[in-house]
Amino acid sequence: MSPQRTDLLRGTLDLLILKALNLEPLHGVGISRRITQITRGAFEVSFGSLFPSLHRMEEKGWVEAEWRASENNRRAKYYRLTSSGRAQLKTEEREWNQLVKIMTAAVESA
Amino acid sequence: MPGRIVSFFRNLLRRNAVEQALDDELQSSVGLLTEERMQQGLSRSEARRQALIELGGVEQVRTKVREVRASRLLEDLAADLRFTLRRLSHSPGFTFTAVLTLAFGIGATLAIFSVVEGVLIRPLPFPQPDQLVILGNIPEGVPPDGSAPRVTAPAVGIYSRATDAFSAMGAYQQTGFELSGQGEPAAISAARLNATAFQALGVAPMLGRTFTPGEDDEGQQVAVISYRMWRERFADDANVLGRKILLDRKTYEIVGVMPRTFEFPLVPGQLNRSELWVPMSFTQGELVNQSGSWNYYLLGRLKPGVTAEQARQNMEPVGPEIVGRLPSVIQSMRIHARAVSLMDVTVAQSRPLVRVLFLAVVAVLAIACANLAGLLLVLVIRRRHETAVRMALGASTKRILGENLLESLTLSLAGGLGGLALAWAALRVGTRFLPETLPRISAISLDYAVVGFVLLLVVLTGLICGVLPAVAASRTCVNDHLKESGRTDTPAGSHARLRSVLVICELATALVLLTGAGLLLRSFEKLREVDLGFKTDHTMTAFFGLPGRQYSSQASVDVFDRMLLQQLRGLPGVEVVGVTTALPGGAADTTVFVPEGYIPPPGAGVNLAWDGRVFGDYFQAAGIPLLRGRSFRDSDTATAPLVVIVNRTLAEKYWPNQDPIGKRLYVGVVGSPMPWQTVVGEVGDIKQSGADQPTQPQFYQPASQFKPSIGKFAPPNMLYGNYGTVVLRGTLPPEQLAAGLRSIVHSIDPQLPLIHVATMDQLVKEGQGSRRFNTVIISSFATAAVLLAMLGIYSVIAFSAMQRTHEFAIRLALGATHANLLHLVLNSGVKLGLAGCAIGAIGAVFATRFLRAFLFEVDPLDPAALVLATTAILILVFVASFIPARRAASLEPMHSLRSE
Repeated sequence: MSPQRTDLLRGTLDLLILKALNLEPLHGVGISRRITQITRGAFEVSFGSLFPSLHRMEEKGWVEAEWRASENNRRAKYYRLTSSGRAQLKTEEREWNQLVKIMTAAVESA
Repeated sequence: MPGRIVSFFRNLLRRNAVEQALDDELQSSVGLLTEERMQQGLSRSEARRQALIELGGVEQVRTKVREVRASRLLEDLAADLRFTLRRLSHSPGFTFTAVLTLAFGIGATLAIFSVVEGVLIRPLPFPQPDQLVILGNIPEGVPPDGSAPRVTAPAVGIYSRATDAFSAMGAYQQTGFELSGQGEPAAISAARLNATAFQALGVAPMLGRTFTPGEDDEGQQVAVISYRMWRERFADDANVLGRKILLDRKTYEIVGVMPRTFEFPLVPGQLNRSELWVPMSFTQGELVNQSGSWNYYLLGRLKPGVTAEQARQNMEPVGPEIVGRLPSVIQSMRIHARAVSLMDVTVAQSRPLVRVLFLAVVAVLAIACANLAGLLLVLVIRRRHETAVRMALGASTKRILGENLLESLTLSLAGGLGGLALAWAALRVGTRFLPETLPRISAISLDYAVVGFVLLLVVLTGLICGVLPAVAASRTCVNDHLKESGRTDTPAGSHARLRSVLVICELATALVLLTGAGLLLRSFEKLREVDLGFKTDHTMTAFFGLPGRQYSSQASVDVFDRMLLQQLRGLPGVEVVGVTTALPGGAADTTVFVPEGYIPPPGAGVNLAWDGRVFGDYFQAAGIPLLRGRSFRDSDTATAPLVVIVNRTLAEKYWPNQDPIGKRLYVGVVGSPMPWQTVVGEVGDIKQSGADQPTQPQFYQPASQFKPSIGKFAPPNMLYGNYGTVVLRGTLPPEQLAAGLRSIVHSIDPQLPLIHVATMDQLVKEGQGSRRFNTVIISSFATAAVLLAMLGIYSVIAFSAMQRTHEFAIRLALGATHANLLHLVLNSGVKLGLAGCAIGAIGAVFATRFLRAFLFEVDPLDPAALVLATTAILILVFVASFIPARRAASLEPMHSLRSE
């Protein structure tokens, strides 16, 4: 299946980024790859959406960034979840599950 | 979300560093992606190409990141501001007019308002000024007026002992001293006051101390000097304490210096501020012999929570005790306590003026705003095409609205700053021309409160003026305007109507102010036409007071007086010389008296009259006509039969339809054992205390007979003729009269200063100071309003004429004459003028009643003022429309049509 460059639902991207960072700190490219991985190749996030989201989340204090060497010894900016980011992840997961339940029920009722 | 706030500032302040970090991140991402591709076996350049493709372009990503940044709003604002400034700089004529209009409106308002604020509104320079009251009492039957009540000397002690409503209380009295022993001898204004009065005022000295109640009681000769005197006479000397000065040739020790802001007593309508303060130290004479003189003010500080009325009730019970200390001749009277707030006494009389001025300020500002709004509308009309194109290209309504608001705010801010500069300059220059008699002239300045208020006003102006045109602009109908393809001959119907309405309102407001100014000017004119009863030309006056130490005996005083009169009479160019204790233009002494044969109507109080003592040829010198009988003679000495001269009002009130010559009166109340004085002459009425004040009964005595006229109540060492105002009439110019007067007084007593040397004309002018002030201020407002309204009508007519150029050219081409066009344009201006005047006239009828308190013998509905103001406005409207009309009429039709 060919991966789509989907402009994700507004808010969904945030959830995916938070989820991706939940395991370990990653740089921008790493986050993109991790999202592709955890969506089993369904989504390939465009960097034009990813970086603005990251910066917005940084300003909101959900993620923190620091420069360090990558696995290949390249300088890269790594993002890490903060405690408020973790809280935000929980909230967004809960809201997402609720939304899914409601939408599923709505779609199946017809 | 503090993080976001921090990033907001970080983004703003370190924009370059943030941009750099973003670049680094994007570059590093490109590197990571390239490496990934190279690991898959691609060449470096191919890997990099694909990496860039996947990233979607570094610049695009960067722009997207920038858009989400917190400071974006402000960066946009800066860009909009740059755009606005560029746009405004493209129409310099418009920008200049708009800023100038506002600067003028705000500047005028601000300058005039600062004067008013400084003089009338600023709170008294004492802590908790609302607790300060002036206490006193008045005899029963005398109606209380707005002025400060006074007390007798013995009452001061009685009130302080018998009341508990006050935290501190002390008497004060304005006085003058001859100051020597430090620099040039000079006559200075000063005040005597109780040590406790300083406590009541609650102001601590800047240096040293104020005097103690002990020093006050013992009559210690100590003085507290003003900041001004400290600077000017003692050159900021920090060791001034303990220095000795001579006051009336007695040694006083300086114990303190008051701070710069300290000013007391605050006398409305008087500038000669007290330069030093000495203990009241009542003399035995004041406490006993002059115990019937209400010569002192009593200042009290109310205890917290006590009202002035409660204080008054607190004072009332000791009334009989105070009466008991009056001279026995008047012990039959009853008195009532009074307590008036110091603020009221000082500025209350000005309150109606403040109200009127506030309305005037609002009116002028409203006109300036209407002008700005009108100009902005012009801008909107001019830009219709541009706006339509931009909207067609996708500019949002919000954006257009925002830009227009920003523009009007920018203009109003520039106008406000210009106005501040104008006001500052006007005040620098203007305060020198203000009447010296204004109270607290030193308080006039641009203070931060006023400036802040104006800036607030400017922002409001910008918003209010901007909203209407902005809405008009954002409602531009794209399709219609683009179809017109930039033709300029479409009349912008609703916009033009809006502008006309604005101009009509401006004209109406200007007319109201102009009518008000006209009424005040007519009052002033009426006032100047009042027959004062004395002559003001060719007359020089100067006050002198002989110090008691050098002139302790009547003989020494007599020698001085005789030499003074003789030598002044001998001065070439001097015709008549007289001396009086009741110079017109000042407050006259008032006394109670009993006229012979007069039966008072039931319920009438005591008989009050202005009294004055004269010697020399005062009546002739002052030009007061003798109507009947004779003037005083040298033979009316202390031992001669007592004589008195009355004014016409006294004669007519107490002896109606009778010849007053030969009638008698005595000083005091009915039953007082006082000697009769026989009327030997009747003189004309004079306006003793101001041209707008009613004339009271008045009598004059020869100075030499003052002591015998108060019979056995006269203190044994009482002097007469030891003070008064010299009145000199001559043919010489006033400066020479003054110089001659000074040199003669100097030759008799080199140390004696003359106080307030002024011509009678000047005195009368000074007396009209506050009325002149009101008139000048309201007229300034009216002038500003009229000028602004003219600017408004000019710009409306000029713009509409310009807009109709194409139409006019066609009219001309079709055979209209230039005169037709002139007529057409003039007509539209005059129509606006007539509408404005009609509305303004109605407004004036209602608004001028606020002025009633300031008018003198002029009705608020005086038709002359209204007609004159209307005529003036219509003429100005005509002139303002004539200029653009002529321009329109001189149109070259072919030239104009081709230029389309």
